Amino acid sequence: MTAAVLALPVVHRELDSDAMTDTTPDPADLRELFTEQAMPFMDQLYAAAMRMTRNPADAGDLVQETYTKAYAAFRQFEQGSNLKAWLYRILTNTFINTYRKNQKSPYQGTIDELEDWQLGGAESLTQGRSTRSAEAEAIDHLPDSDVKDALQSIPEDFRLAVYLADVEGFAYQEIADIMKTPVGTVMSRLHRGRRLLRDLLADYARERGFTAPETSPRSTK
Amino acid sequence: MTDCGCDKAKAELEEYLHRELSDQDFADVTDHLQNCTDCSHEHTVGLTLMQRLRTACKEQAPDTLRADILAHLDGAHA
Repeated sequence: MTAAVLALPVVHRELDSDAMTDTTPDPADLRELFTEQAMPFMDQLYAAAMRMTRNPADAGDLVQETYTKAYAAFRQFEQGSNLKAWLYRILTNTFINTYRKNQKSPYQGTIDELEDWQLGGAESLTQGRSTRSAEAEAIDHLPDSDVKDALQSIPEDFRLAVYLADVEGFAYQEIADIMKTPVGTVMSRLHRGRRLLRDLLADYARERGFTAPETSPRSTK
Repeated sequence: MTDCGCDKAKAELEEYLHRELSDQDFADVTDHLQNCTDCSHEHTVGLTLMQRLRTACKEQAPDTLRADILAHLDGAHA
């Protein structure tokens, strides 16, 4: 209650300063500005939505909902700040709030607390150098479908962190803002997610008969 | 023996890959990678993984999506 009262003058000041700038666009201009600035990210957002929802229909719905929300909030978007990060924040929030509820995952909520062995991954720091170069080569030659399958099969929070860092190139702090977690958690999710991906891809490579490295035994429970 | 910062390099390779290190740390790891085959191979794996993820995850949205989005904007209010 006190906080709300205290917050009011700040809000007014922001509104005043907005009103004083003559750049406040009218609705038609705003729509044009939004279309011009935000629509070029559509394919990228769709690709991220595909990795989140795992199917084209939900991905399309998610992207559409993201744009509708972004447009409704576009007056609050600070021109000159990072529009891509802002759109990804809306996309991720929408996904978490709407779609994640429908996707049951045994890891939900506790994933960061699981030990590595519980995740089925093994730190393979013992690998020799020759097997590492073989590992890079194997990863390089795997088909796109294998890479996507591997990404799809790691826990969702890890997948999001890896996607945002490796595919989208967001900074750790930006990912922390998007996922609403501390940077340390982002780093841990990234590290574990990438470790799991490497192990999965090594498995796929072996199944395909590539000369892939031996990973440490996975079921040492 | 003061040269080989394998522990430091290994611990920071992921941040190195994602350009999250300070300029000084970045330079240190770069130097180390030039002198250490083992760490350099480890970095290559990380880099390859990143590049494969980037190329594999490319998608093109369905043709109708853009029109659907724009149609919805008219119903929404900014």
